[in-house]
Amino acid sequence: MKLSSESKLFIAIAVITVFIIGIGIMLMSRPAPVLERSQLLPAGSYTQGNKEAKTYLVEFSDFQCPACRSFQPQVKALVEKNKDKLVFAYRHFPLAQHPLALPAALAAEAAGEQEKFWEMHDYIFENQESLSEEILLSAPEKLGLDKEKYLKAFKDKKYQDKIDKDTSDGRKFGVDATPTFFLNGKKLDLFTSSDLSKSVEETIKNNPK
Amino acid sequence: MKSSYNRLIFILSLIGILVAIYVLQSFIRQSSIVCVNNGCEIVRKSLYSYPLGIPVPAFGLIGYSLLTLFTFLRTISSDRRLLYGILGISVFGVLFVSWFTFMELFIIKAVCTWCAVSAINMFIIFFLVVKIHQMEVRKK
Repeated sequence: MKLSSESKLFIAIAVITVFIIGIGIMLMSRPAPVLERSQLLPAGSYTQGNKEAKTYLVEFSDFQCPACRSFQPQVKALVEKNKDKLVFAYRHFPLAQHPLALPAALAAEAAGEQEKFWEMHDYIFENQESLSEEILLSAPEKLGLDKEKYLKAFKDKKYQDKIDKDTSDGRKFGVDATPTFFLNGKKLDLFTSSDLSKSVEETIKNNPK
Repeated sequence: MKSSYNRLIFILSLIGILVAIYVLQSFIRQSSIVCVNNGCEIVRKSLYSYPLGIPVPAFGLIGYSLLTLFTFLRTISSDRRLLYGILGISVFGVLFVSWFTFMELFIIKAVCTWCAVSAINMFIIFFLVVKIHQMEVRKK
């Protein structure tokens, strides 16, 4: 059978497409890099659990993201249950579409200066649905913070650089949505929310203490 | 004119295949999809993205593959049934992408960029097929 020039053109285009698919498959089948502990847990990160634990879970999160809030009880339960075997770090990744995500991150850092980062973290998530600047400003009364010191750090955006560093690190590590979790250096792809507990429990089992 | 429309459908179908393969591998490997926002992830993790247990991009891959095959066959044969085949697939495609876009907007409440690209692609293909059909009918 003799092919028309049109048929030949189609075949050529199809071959080029298959070639593109082949290159794509090659590029995408490379294993995801495993990040160093020091990259994911830089000095100054707020952590819970045992800092020496072999298993480390790092979350890039946004205080105004509903999915982040829905994961919070699960993360809290995991840390409580595995206090000695797990270290958990919260890192900031405020998304542009959430206007209060950055102020909330600044507020959490301002409270962190007074050793109350995690109390503020929980307070923000508890109030996420009605989150406002007033709620952030009223934190000192609720959490027993030195009001003046807190407000100064918050309003002066004292920890903006730290938040920016978290965000740029996140981008560098391939974070494109929140929450994104890294478990022992590997980015987790969570299909259902229970996958997080499963992955963490399994890693702890393989890395006791 | 008619053959350039057929050529265009062929190229758009190949683009559809590329998009479908990319999104499908993310569904299968459960890895995140590069997207302009986090809509793709929300959509990927939604149960509605698995009608009959089949991931949505698999439907796209099959549809676009058939369109590619049929448009190629039209360069070899002038059998009218090929055009009706293309028309049938594109009608199903348009209904399918409309249904899924509706689900994204009102049920899942997130839009996946790649799905939107594929939906627009399918509408253009449908429009081109209708044009070819009109030309052939007129000729007849």
